[in-house]
Amino acid sequence: MSTCPSDSRPTLRTIVENSLVVLLQGLHGQVTTVDLRDESTARGRVVNVDAYMNVRLADVLFRDRRGRVSRLEDLFITGRNVRYVHIPDNLDITDTIEKQLGKISRMRNYETKNPQSQPKTCKICT
Amino acid sequence: MVVLKSVSPPTDGVRHEQAETSAILDGKGLGCGTLYVAETRLSWFDGTGMGFSLEYPTIGLHAISRDLGTYPQEHLYVMVNAKLNGEENAEDEEDEDASDDDGGAGDDEEGVISEIRFVPSDKAALEPMFSAMCECQALHPDPDDEDSENDFEGEEYDVEEAEHGRGDIPSFYTCEEGLSSLNSEGEATLSRLEGMLARSVAQQFHMAGVRTDNTGDGLCGPCVGVWSDGLCGPCVGV
Repeated sequence: MSTCPSDSRPTLRTIVENSLVVLLQGLHGQVTTVDLRDESTARGRVVNVDAYMNVRLADVLFRDRRGRVSRLEDLFITGRNVRYVHIPDNLDITDTIEKQLGKISRMRNYETKNPQSQPKTCKICT
Repeated sequence: MVVLKSVSPPTDGVRHEQAETSAILDGKGLGCGTLYVAETRLSWFDGTGMGFSLEYPTIGLHAISRDLGTYPQEHLYVMVNAKLNGEENAEDEEDEDASDDDGGAGDDEEGVISEIRFVPSDKAALEPMFSAMCECQALHPDPDDEDSENDFEGEEYDVEEAEHGRGDIPSFYTCEEGLSSLNSEGEATLSRLEGMLARSVAQQFHMAGVRTDNTGDGLCGPCVGVWSDGLCGPCVGV
């Protein structure tokens, strides 16, 4: 089911499976650079990327739009403000996407077989 | 949007409250007060009850800064995609917005930006302040984001279908019927693998900064929060 019954908004899993956010989620643990819309850049280790492309980085070197550099321990960038996410050169993009989709798909299959052992799901994400 | 005025602090949905927190707006110190990280907005009030609020959609990023070379105190840094002036009234702000390139939609070439630093006296509070903001920020996805509005067509990706097509993966059973073909060794392996999967799923989807005490009805495992209509935050799955 790719749409919620109550409104036309797609499920978050659908968003992830159908957009390149899934590639970004395969970057967890890797160091990369994020270019922001205001021309500042942030280079750090990817802690998490969610379905809205909100990016959380750790141990960040942040260069603001005026070129001033500072270190930030933990950084959360709103998805709306992301212009580019640099993909590390040594990353196999197709492979990463397939692996990431595989994880999501296997979890869905696992849930179906083991409804009691799974943690609570929200009304839509089933 | 930012007017230093006398308002009362939020009472609902306050994920974190931090007293003895100074606020510095674009380099100008506003004094010491209390920061409220609420689900609807971020607010700060000084000792006299004057303060300001920020709407999450205007917040571009937030971060913990411990780099004393850049700023002499450890603090929570917030970048806002708007100009904030304490003295302006609401009318002036609307006029300013109209002449800004920074509209709600589209790229802001000129990019009007304000920087706020929240300096708590308790530096250990920086992490919960940061995490609370992450959670609340995730509750406010970009309404202008076309991608999330599209109807996504096509079937859900099924990894086993995709893998079966390759032939270099050894065959494995995925249905109830197949389970009966397993010998005792196979069953033991299956149980072990399922246990490993359960543990790895639980670890993998633990997002730092997320409340994992699912006290509310209808929260996913890795959810950041629940919207009023019962939808998760930006979780990928369970």
